[in-house]
Amino acid sequence: MEGGLLILVEDLLTMFAIYLIITLSLNLENGYAGIPNFGKVLAVAGGAFVAGSFPGRLMAYLMGFDTGIGYVNDNSRIVTLITRALEGNLLPSIALFFITIGVAAAVGAALGLLASYPAIRLREDYLAMTLLAMGEGIRIIGQNFYPLVGGTVGIDVPDPFAYFEDLRYITVMFVFLAIALLVMYYSEHLVRSPLGRVLRAMRDDEVAASSLGKNVVHLRMKVLAVGSALGAIGGALYAFYTCNCRAAAYHRFDWTFWPWVAMMLGGASNNVGVALGVLVFLATRYSITLLKVQLAPFVPFDVVWLDSLLFGMALILILMFKPEGLLREKPTHTISRKKIETRMKDISGNREANK
Amino acid sequence: MLDIVLRDAMTYSSLLILLSTGLTLMYITTKVPNFAHGALATIGGYMTLTGTKLFKLNPYMCLPFASIVGAIGSLSLYLCVLRPLMKRGASFVALMASTIGFEMIALALINIYADYLSRVHKIFSREFLLRGLDFKFMDEPGIFIVSCVTMLIIVLTLYLFLTRTKFGIAMRAAIENPSLAGVVGINVNHVYTVSWTIAGLLAGFSGGLLSMFAIGTPLMGSNLLPSMFAASVVGGYSNIYGAMLGGALIGLSEIYGISALAYQFGGEIIAYRPIIPLFVMSVTLLLAPTGLTGINWASIKKVLRGKRG
Repeated sequence: MEGGLLILVEDLLTMFAIYLIITLSLNLENGYAGIPNFGKVLAVAGGAFVAGSFPGRLMAYLMGFDTGIGYVNDNSRIVTLITRALEGNLLPSIALFFITIGVAAAVGAALGLLASYPAIRLREDYLAMTLLAMGEGIRIIGQNFYPLVGGTVGIDVPDPFAYFEDLRYITVMFVFLAIALLVMYYSEHLVRSPLGRVLRAMRDDEVAASSLGKNVVHLRMKVLAVGSALGAIGGALYAFYTCNCRAAAYHRFDWTFWPWVAMMLGGASNNVGVALGVLVFLATRYSITLLKVQLAPFVPFDVVWLDSLLFGMALILILMFKPEGLLREKPTHTISRKKIETRMKDISGNREANK
Repeated sequence: MLDIVLRDAMTYSSLLILLSTGLTLMYITTKVPNFAHGALATIGGYMTLTGTKLFKLNPYMCLPFASIVGAIGSLSLYLCVLRPLMKRGASFVALMASTIGFEMIALALINIYADYLSRVHKIFSREFLLRGLDFKFMDEPGIFIVSCVTMLIIVLTLYLFLTRTKFGIAMRAAIENPSLAGVVGINVNHVYTVSWTIAGLLAGFSGGLLSMFAIGTPLMGSNLLPSMFAASVVGGYSNIYGAMLGGALIGLSEIYGISALAYQFGGEIIAYRPIIPLFVMSVTLLLAPTGLTGINWASIKKVLRGKRG
């Protein structure tokens, strides 16, 4: 039982890190920039497909295996050999992990830009519809284009954490939490920067922002590129965590809707609130999972659906009665007067010295 | 016997016209794209399944029932979710998110209902096909004739309703300018409720027909959502006749496009059919974001004539 609990907590925290990255990226797009991204799954699936198709092929190429269609056909054997080779080599494992994350981010950014391009100049509702429709499109491509991630069968992903053997899951948890923390730090800095203030100005009044010379279209593109890159990192991490990538798993329910619920629950445009929201959301889901097992014999349906039912209702109730979420948006801290004064003294002192 | 591709294309287009007309009717009243529209159609499909398998009815006898349940779904979305949110002054994004929340609830209920059907009544409810119950008329399947004929009747009735009846004209006035319509004594809330009812009826009805045309799954309506949006956008998302035009265009281009591509590249490409509406929608948004009905044809004619002269 004790071991079971440990596994549960470890799984919860790993999923927390993955969902935190995705929800923070969504918060950047929707909470701060006002882009209603109902196609978050696009970036997540893009990242996961990179993790499913890129690192394995790279290793297969280096080890002299088939990288074409043969790689997919003979996938589980080749990936087992690759993972066995990675087991003893820490440095190549780390390199493979970070190279994949980088490629996933680049592909995610490109996908975000490409998918939003037709509607980037139009009103929010057109953008929302386009992004949602494109998110459906990538799943269809993933499910049917066999060489990418093995179509409906799916594909195995080599495990860069195989070096740690028994401690694999604990290591994964800490690494992912560290990455999530970095993303949090980054987005918190981004929204406090002048760019962050421009984004909020754009969100609150597009016309006013553009009348002050801000290019709304460019800003939207920038945010979607960054947000999609981060979302793709989340997707790649999930594929590495499960060591598997199956296109059908990237449905908009899991990767668009759940992040939306978590964001609205915690409080849009508040990164700490989002973290809290993700934690509450996942903790609730996991406790429901535990309860469901006991409920299952008494109801004539699969208890999985209670999740959607409850969180759909929760989202609507939050929007009605507490639209600001658990933690509301706070004014950002600017630099204190004291700091500005010392900084100015430094500058004038430097000038004096230069004279 | 008609060509099979033509028959499929016409049936599918008719269904898409009904669906996108409803979607546009919802959009022009409340200005919110209804992301739950596909789920409403699925509800209609499951009602037909219940009627045919549980009560042994003719599938076409179930259509009124399917429409009414669709309307109940659409009304509960409007009256219990959207109107209270609008009263509270919710943001545009919040309204869109709430329709997605409603879709989740609807899909959960559909799935629970499907499980109930299969576990308690031993009915195949996850992947069902009701085509076998269809009748034949002059060697043509009934679904083809029924969907085309009812689509024409519905479109014509809707046109007459909107242009010839007092309530229809009041409805158009309330859509064009809600505050002015309110000043002259039109109950705008009432009008909006009626248009959501009509849209829900259409969704349930076309969902019922859809279960006769394609394999029914709990996601059969939601999977058509991109096609519906594409049809509405291509037609011009603020014009109800545009939605009809767009539905026909997307339906025909999906079926004819994929059969042409399959002829060229082999049958494997058929699975990519949902990509076609995405492509058409992207091109429309890039070239003419107001859709076909929003293009100023007169000025284009003038430019063309000017070039010739």
